[in-house]
Amino acid sequence: MLTPLPIRQWDMTKAAHLLNRAGFGGSPEQIKAFCELGLDGAVKQVLNAPDDAEQFPKPAWAAPRNMMEMRQQLQALPQEERREKFQMMQKEERGNGIDLIAWWLDRMTRSPNPFREKMTLFWHGHFATSVQKVKQPFLMWKQNETLRASAFGNFGAMVKEMSRDPAMLIWLDTRESKKEHPNENFARELMELFTLGIGNYSEDDIQQAARAFTGYKMHPVDQTFRFAPMQHDEGEKKFFGKTGNFNGDDIIDMILEKPQCARFIAKKIWEFYGYESPKPAIVDALANSFRAQKYEIKPLMNEIFRSAEFYSADAIRTQVKSPVQWVVQTVKILETELPRGQVVINVLRQLGQIPFAPPSVKGWDGGKAWITTSTLLLRYNLANFALGRGPINMQRVRNVAANKNMNRPGFDVENHTPIDFEKIAPKELRSDSKRLVAYLAFRLFQSPLGPRESESFIGFVEQHKDNLDDETIRDLLHLMMSTPQYQLT
Amino acid sequence: MSDHDHIIEPHTRTLHTRREFMRTSMLGAAAAWTLPVFLQKTFLTLDAMAADSAIQSATGKDGTILVVLQLAGGNDGLNTVVPWADDAYYKARPVIGIKSDAVLKVNDYMGLNPKLAGLKSLYDEGHLSILQGVGYPNPNRSHFRSTEIWQTGSDADRNESYGWLGKYFDSCCKGADPTVGVAIGNELPQSFTSPHPTGVSFSRPEQYRWMNNDRTGDTDALFRELNSPEQSADTNAGGSIGMIGGAKQKTGGSTLDFLQRTALDAQMSSDKVLEIARKYKASVDYPHSPLADSLNLVARMIAGGLATRVYYVSQGGYDTHTNEAPTHERLMGELNDALAAFAKDLQAQGNFQRVMLMTFSEFGRRVTQNASNGTDHGAAAPMFVMGGAVKAGVFGKYPSLTELNAGDLIYNVDFRSVYATVLEKWLRAPSKQVLGKAFPLLPII
Repeated sequence: MLTPLPIRQWDMTKAAHLLNRAGFGGSPEQIKAFCELGLDGAVKQVLNAPDDAEQFPKPAWAAPRNMMEMRQQLQALPQEERREKFQMMQKEERGNGIDLIAWWLDRMTRSPNPFREKMTLFWHGHFATSVQKVKQPFLMWKQNETLRASAFGNFGAMVKEMSRDPAMLIWLDTRESKKEHPNENFARELMELFTLGIGNYSEDDIQQAARAFTGYKMHPVDQTFRFAPMQHDEGEKKFFGKTGNFNGDDIIDMILEKPQCARFIAKKIWEFYGYESPKPAIVDALANSFRAQKYEIKPLMNEIFRSAEFYSADAIRTQVKSPVQWVVQTVKILETELPRGQVVINVLRQLGQIPFAPPSVKGWDGGKAWITTSTLLLRYNLANFALGRGPINMQRVRNVAANKNMNRPGFDVENHTPIDFEKIAPKELRSDSKRLVAYLAFRLFQSPLGPRESESFIGFVEQHKDNLDDETIRDLLHLMMSTPQYQLT
Repeated sequence: MSDHDHIIEPHTRTLHTRREFMRTSMLGAAAAWTLPVFLQKTFLTLDAMAADSAIQSATGKDGTILVVLQLAGGNDGLNTVVPWADDAYYKARPVIGIKSDAVLKVNDYMGLNPKLAGLKSLYDEGHLSILQGVGYPNPNRSHFRSTEIWQTGSDADRNESYGWLGKYFDSCCKGADPTVGVAIGNELPQSFTSPHPTGVSFSRPEQYRWMNNDRTGDTDALFRELNSPEQSADTNAGGSIGMIGGAKQKTGGSTLDFLQRTALDAQMSSDKVLEIARKYKASVDYPHSPLADSLNLVARMIAGGLATRVYYVSQGGYDTHTNEAPTHERLMGELNDALAAFAKDLQAQGNFQRVMLMTFSEFGRRVTQNASNGTDHGAAAPMFVMGGAVKAGVFGKYPSLTELNAGDLIYNVDFRSVYATVLEKWLRAPSKQVLGKAFPLLPII
């Protein structure tokens, strides 16, 4: 077990760190309230926050598509109309796909339980599936709900659910896999990416496992998982040195027995929440607990969030914000709203992270890979946009024609709720440059500034002290956000 | 590495960018031990270039340059390089087949789309090579997946997450300017992805900068100050920035170091790009199309000596399922006119010899036209390679129009052979290291 953080060491910086990493950060008031819960209370809230399902009902379009019926309807049409109808359907689904992303980002931003959303984001990056191949936003939404429901549940159960998940069946070709021609795609990624990591199995193991996952189909009417015994390979398989008529669940159970599986997952979770390249002792400790708890996720997260290591200097403010984190946290920090769906998706595309559209089954590399000179400059310019000002490059926002579902909350460049500068930079502080800068720094960075930054910002305030109007505060905030430091959390 | 610590004599040829200039002067001004680690590393890398050919310099003035042109959506290869002497072609495409007397004949079997007159001239002048039947085993007909395969150079049955150009930058251009790869567009293409991504993207140079509302004229200087690595001895000892940037991490250089270095890179490269855009204008008239605008911009960057080895541009709209003829004709016209202007511009600049442009598309299209007088997703298709140093000619065999795989042409040149050739013979890079295995080289350069 990792050494716990002594309770008396809990303070605002650590509270902010937990809120940033376990969720998407918050305003100074939210951080203060979180801090007042104490370490124990704060961790309990992270792991037991209230359910938000009522606040975020499923999108209107999120229902199974009766593929059989749709095909019949299409086939009944004359050629030309069929094509038109098909293109119309595709267009509508693209609109639904955009709505889906907006739906999730909105939930991340406004949910009283952002912690579950963050953990769901982790699992989405882990079982990375893209709507670009799956094509059906409903199935992506369904996978997302499955991951959300299991986010703090049992990892083994989650792997089994994912092996039957309709979006996954399409994404990794499992539904194409028949006993005569087993498709190895799912079996390979199951071991390489989902459970063990490369080098912990043989090519033979992949081929044998692929046979066990044959016959996994999707029902064409209600789009749920359906097992087709006729297409399943009932023969003997040799896997990890054992022989038997294994099915898919057996394969997953045998994988879970390997200590490497616990190590692989514990390390990946630590790297997502804590920091990269942890010492082996940390991974070992977490992996042992994870196995001892039979792959229950909640106790693992409990251990991480209470550990002294999680609040060490190696962890605090050493992580590059992901694009999603940058956007959602910025909205929370500035107490503003998310941009409209199409706008925010355009932004996220340029920053390199669109939820539901990871670049490959390996998910997002994350960390330093988020940052190139282009994405860094874009972040700086987006900060100006988030502060309620252009210019931002708005061209190439996909012109998905007016879609009836596209009415998620959010602002346009022209008409969004202005930021409350009086709240962010109270008038009574504006005459005291040091206090003002320290006050703003806590909101933006949740930690004290280095001397160079501090001097620069104070210098700016001094220079403008005769005219510290909201526009000048906006300039200052933009400058503060146009720094390497603002990219860290 | 320590043997070289005292060597501070970088390649004079490589000192064209302001960033490199700055590094030199910083190195000259300070003893090496006071420099941030990454700067030392960069110098050692520059120095190592002489010894290790795998590490390349991007000088912007005399090195070879590759321009990759993506024809997005799946270009109809059969109506681009037209098999005019094959009855099977007209049988499969009674409506959209291009009449043989209109085809710009290259040989007694095939010729170019009538709109590609500029490319035909380039071919006749010895500056264009036509690769026939390029594809890969087990072709995938999904735009998403097949594009991914082309961008990553992966086998069809494997998932590879990094791009072939990204892997080239990563393994061969360490320490280079971020402008070593420039994509005209709003985001980096998948082919640029790598564990340590580099490369710059913009559709207009004025986007690639920090856009402030500098009403008082002092924010820009502050911005520059805040976005440079800290150089005091204190900082190198790991003390003062700990508060905001997190502690120095064990694995050489903290995340903050990395961000500061990238921020400096961004400033330097942004200045350079804007300066070139201001100074250099096209030497010829370009037509009006998005592709022509992109190539015009590339030509200006080349003229200005941006330290770039690979430019990436794209032309969209090739997904011609319905009523293909007018759309494809327009696209071919735009492609032709843009490429012809680009070639002329480079010739006028005197840079045509060191620039090579390569086209690709995620797939060709079905041999038989569909019921909407369009074509559906197919497989193998031709590629063009253009440049002053290209060996002109026709390479590869035109795939049979009757022996098909599920209605599609069967490839005979693996696209990774083209990549390998470009890497080895043009960029002088070890292709096996980049592509993961060896592919036969083609005699196109």
